[in-house]
Amino acid sequence: MIPIRYNLRSLVVRKVGTAMTVLGVALTVAVFLSILAMVQGLRNTFVETGDPLNLIVIRKGSLSEVNSFFDREIKGIVETMDGVESVAGEILVLINSPRTTGETTNIMVRGISDKSLELRSQLKIVEGRMLRPGLREIVVSRSIAKRFRSSQLGDDLKIGRTTWKVVGILDAAQTAYDSEAWADYNEIAQEFERPIYSSLLVRAKNEVAIKSIKARIEDDRRVKLDVYGEKEYFASQTNAAQPIQILGYLVGVIMAIGSCFAVMNTMYAATTYRTREIATLRVLGFKRHNILLSFLFESIVLSILGGILGCLMALPIHGISTGTANFNNFAEVVFKFRITPMLMLEGMAFAVIMGSLGGLLPARLASSIPIVRALRT
Amino acid sequence: MRFVPFILRNTFRNLRRTILTILSIGMSLFLISTLKTVLDELESPPSTPESAKRVVTRHLTGLGAVMPIAHRDRIRQVPGVEEVVASQWFGGVYKDPANFFAQFAVDADKFAVVYPEVRTQTPDQMDAFVKLRTGTLVGTELSKRFGWKVGDKITLKGAIFPVDPELTITGLVSGGGSESNLYFHWDYLNELFPQNISGTFIVKAKNAEDIPAISENVDAVFSSTTAPTKTETESAFILSFASMWGNVRLLVASIATVVIFTVILVAANTMAMSIRERTGEIAILKTLGFSPGQVLGMLIGESLLIALAGGLIGSLGGRLLFSFVNLSSISMGFIQILRIRWTTVAMAAGISLVVAIFSTLLPAYIASRLPIAVAVRRRGE
Repeated sequence: MIPIRYNLRSLVVRKVGTAMTVLGVALTVAVFLSILAMVQGLRNTFVETGDPLNLIVIRKGSLSEVNSFFDREIKGIVETMDGVESVAGEILVLINSPRTTGETTNIMVRGISDKSLELRSQLKIVEGRMLRPGLREIVVSRSIAKRFRSSQLGDDLKIGRTTWKVVGILDAAQTAYDSEAWADYNEIAQEFERPIYSSLLVRAKNEVAIKSIKARIEDDRRVKLDVYGEKEYFASQTNAAQPIQILGYLVGVIMAIGSCFAVMNTMYAATTYRTREIATLRVLGFKRHNILLSFLFESIVLSILGGILGCLMALPIHGISTGTANFNNFAEVVFKFRITPMLMLEGMAFAVIMGSLGGLLPARLASSIPIVRALRT
Repeated sequence: MRFVPFILRNTFRNLRRTILTILSIGMSLFLISTLKTVLDELESPPSTPESAKRVVTRHLTGLGAVMPIAHRDRIRQVPGVEEVVASQWFGGVYKDPANFFAQFAVDADKFAVVYPEVRTQTPDQMDAFVKLRTGTLVGTELSKRFGWKVGDKITLKGAIFPVDPELTITGLVSGGGSESNLYFHWDYLNELFPQNISGTFIVKAKNAEDIPAISENVDAVFSSTTAPTKTETESAFILSFASMWGNVRLLVASIATVVIFTVILVAANTMAMSIRERTGEIAILKTLGFSPGQVLGMLIGESLLIALAGGLIGSLGGRLLFSFVNLSSISMGFIQILRIRWTTVAMAAGISLVVAIFSTLLPAYIASRLPIAVAVRRRGE
């Protein structure tokens, strides 16, 4: 095998060309990673939401809490089932509200009962206080407070024609609840003239009870309901990341093809400049496949350098907070860009693929140089 | 002008490198053109004389809240209103939740009055739609996506509504952005789920000039009812959806900036290689009496030729590609129609020019600094 040092030195000799090619690959990887970091962030928000002992009950076929509604008597039926510790009946509504940047979008407002907060151990009030039942008071998540107008502690938030006082800020530990505002169930049901529940949050006594509760509700002919584990329910909402993911792959693939051509250019140039060297290596006894591997390796080194640089360039976006519409229900979802080691590996793999594809043809050309003619040039 | 043959010769003397560079730049500008087009489609929905005559009334609280159907008759009495239809987003599932497309329950008999630009293939199809209670119009793109024909029966599973309408396709529609939508009878939905409600009302004005007054008057009528309204122009209503996706503009702009920078790198690398190989020649040109400006001009000309070829292949190629490919089925309905506008092609050409200048300056400067005596001796290595 041709020593690796030979390739590394060759890269250093052509430092300007190497640097430009590496930077090109790096930018491609950085863009690809940044978009995937959005997908990852959005996914994580949903995946990390929920308590393993909680179940969410919604109307059969409604797919999401916002679409769901059913009679209030159902809560009583579920409460008396074996293995049920407690039940929170809730209603979900969307309100149209302006972001701090001006454009208007929908905030998900959850009308909650007295059990709602204690059943969600990931959540806590960090500023102000919890809302009081019977009053037009509202508690907003940290992200909502940051992203929307008149949603700071003490502000008056408009819902339709009525105003609600923001009395507390909720820390939702970056779960899906971080995109919600909470108000009293009765007040919301009255304001929206919807005397129904959208969902029940059911706490099972233990893991064994979960299965039996699920089976009993779903088999009950009187009610038409779907039961999901709380974690399972939120995980099913991750398809909200789909449009961004499609965009990410589209942009990534197109940029990668462009970068492949650039890598090819650099490697072809390397082949041309080093015709005599290659011929000399052949004379020294290296075989064609040695040359092929050596050049391919050099191209891959180039792309790995680009990959590493690209990962470093994308890293600063980690943790930046942003929001988009969940197309399941048109409500704002707030999430943070998230770059994980797995994602970086994906970026590196992406770079290596670019390097291999871009290096293959030039390496083949290098390996097929006729020795005698090359030595004479 | 007399340098043109010289520039052409130099551009194509390393054909492989030139082609690879053009392809690389082409891919990048194809990407920029596509993103710009998506942004355009999102931010400036095509406005027609018909759409300029329409306003959309929804509940003041937001789209989740519904209004009583009785609003319809009171809106019709507002001066300047020609016609009004209920339009309810159904949001059902066809076989699988991934088969997402827009479904509206509308007043079938008045539909053609409010949306004159939405046309069925034959006038009979519209008549059939109005007459049949379960009659349904589907967009031409949508029918291609699922292989539907007139006469087919389909069932939508309700998600927002606890009912599953069984529909009969009575016609295929196109025009006015209806190509990927499905329309069925509001009356039929209300029969299955008798709540007498609608999420939006589409109001057609007699004259476009009356629109501001109509919007104001409609909202005034309902301001003290239990279901106050917000009325806005159709284009404002569509734009409000675009803004929900968040800061798409910033996202697209950031991607485009990085891509342009990459293109400059690629082009600069090519020019650097090309100039490096020709340092000797450039020195000879100077010895012959060409001024540094002329030499630089020739080099930029070369780069421009390459960048422009790439830019035009990218944007025009994209235009051609999108006219042949059925984007709606590839993107699962997220993208309906993409048409790269001529302004976008011009933008791509402009970017090429900038790329050409920036990519040539530095390598050319380095070459020009070499003393002639050194440069002449230097050969490509």
